[in-house]
Amino acid sequence: MIDFGRVQKELQECSKDSQASGIKVSPKADNLARLVGTIPGPIGTPYEGGTFQIDITLPDAYPFQPPKMQFATKVWHPNISSQSGAICLDILKDQWSPALTLKTALLSIQALLSAPEPDDPQDAVVAQQYLKDYQTFVGTARYWTETFAKTSALGVEEKVQRLVEMGFLESLVRSTLDAVGGDENLALEKLCSA
Amino acid sequence: MTNPEGRGRDDEADSSAEAPAPDGFEWSNYADEDIMHQKNEINAVEAEKIPCVGDKEPLSALAAEYQSGSPILLEKIKVLDEQYAAIRRTRGDGNCFFRSFMFSYLEHILETQDKAEVDRMKANVEECRRTLQSLGYVDFTFEDFFALFLEQLESVLQGNETSISHDELLLRSRDQSISDYVVMFFRFVTSAEIRKRSEFFEPFIMGLANTTVEQFCKSSVEPMGEESDHVHIIAISDALGVAIRIVYLDRSSCDKGGVSVNHHDFIPTVSSSRSGAVEPFITLLYRPGHYDMLYPKRPS
Repeated sequence: MIDFGRVQKELQECSKDSQASGIKVSPKADNLARLVGTIPGPIGTPYEGGTFQIDITLPDAYPFQPPKMQFATKVWHPNISSQSGAICLDILKDQWSPALTLKTALLSIQALLSAPEPDDPQDAVVAQQYLKDYQTFVGTARYWTETFAKTSALGVEEKVQRLVEMGFLESLVRSTLDAVGGDENLALEKLCSA
Repeated sequence: MTNPEGRGRDDEADSSAEAPAPDGFEWSNYADEDIMHQKNEINAVEAEKIPCVGDKEPLSALAAEYQSGSPILLEKIKVLDEQYAAIRRTRGDGNCFFRSFMFSYLEHILETQDKAEVDRMKANVEECRRTLQSLGYVDFTFEDFFALFLEQLESVLQGNETSISHDELLLRSRDQSISDYVVMFFRFVTSAEIRKRSEFFEPFIMGLANTTVEQFCKSSVEPMGEESDHVHIIAISDALGVAIRIVYLDRSSCDKGGVSVNHHDFIPTVSSSRSGAVEPFITLLYRPGHYDMLYPKRPS
């Protein structure tokens, strides 16, 4: 049984200084077991200027077991799967402790963006590139940030508006956009084939 | 490599895995989930074998484990049998030291009804709370664990509506949710003490794990299931002002010929309000990698 009282306190605590930290956590639905975290890309990294969304699922034994976190925003990083968004970070596995919180976990992920660990990779291809051709890695990571971490965060309302004008229900448009990671064309394809 | 989809490269990586991956199948994802799942299953199997806290058993039960094993150990168990009446096992899940400490302490209070000791303990717990706050821990991360321990401490004192019997104490200590909350309380206490006196603990930690105090607390104290070493024992004994005797059952033999069993008393050096030498009322049996409880024979 998830300790929802604690989750509530965590959300309050996090919203208190979200202006300063840039880190946000909000529930996906009325069920507190599924949440979305938001972290700004660290300054001075190829992720600067991007806003990254992280899907959070709380296991039944939370806070004794770690929250499941994975990137919803596509990101090019040695410790994050470029396809699934899975994160390789010890505190999300056996180094988790109930002394940690969703916010400290998101802060650790933000720190991971600043300091990749290519020797303990989640995405072998990205890690290889990081080690062998660092300049190309930086270029690709920056390109992905521009492509996925900016438009999806900033242009959502315009996309929603355009798709709604085509005659689709707003709630359906939002959930479909969410499901395809903010890609307007993919969302249109899905909406048409549904 | 500026293809934002990255599909080509990732497909190559997938095909180099041992088995061909169906489209959209995430090996990296699968591995982590699978390992976590497997760990949980191993814990569940382990849980069926030994409860968090077992029943009292005679030392012959311990000897039975080593029947075909080391003669030195069997000799040592004979020596133990002269001094100790019983052993109580704990589950080998990395929390055995804290669980042994929890049960031994609460059982001692239940049997002695030592109200002065309970008051002293409560004062130390409050001190730990202040330490955590001054270290920057957010209240909600630890307050539930503190509350649950204080509730157990209160309930072993008899004469209240919430008082519990020895059987109930055993049941609660076996109830994973209560037991784990108390274990986590002790982990907070231990971590707070180590961080508070980091200059004192630093050389011990360097010798043990070659890491910083901060990193040691994060990776070897605060996560559940991380085993306890003498650093943890010194810290919790000091923080709560409780003496602990550890009896070592290992293969080491002394040169003098006769077999003897070593023990070490961890006597709190700070925050102890009691004067004079304290005979520990908590005795634990250490075998490499595991702690159980021991019951000394009472003088008849």
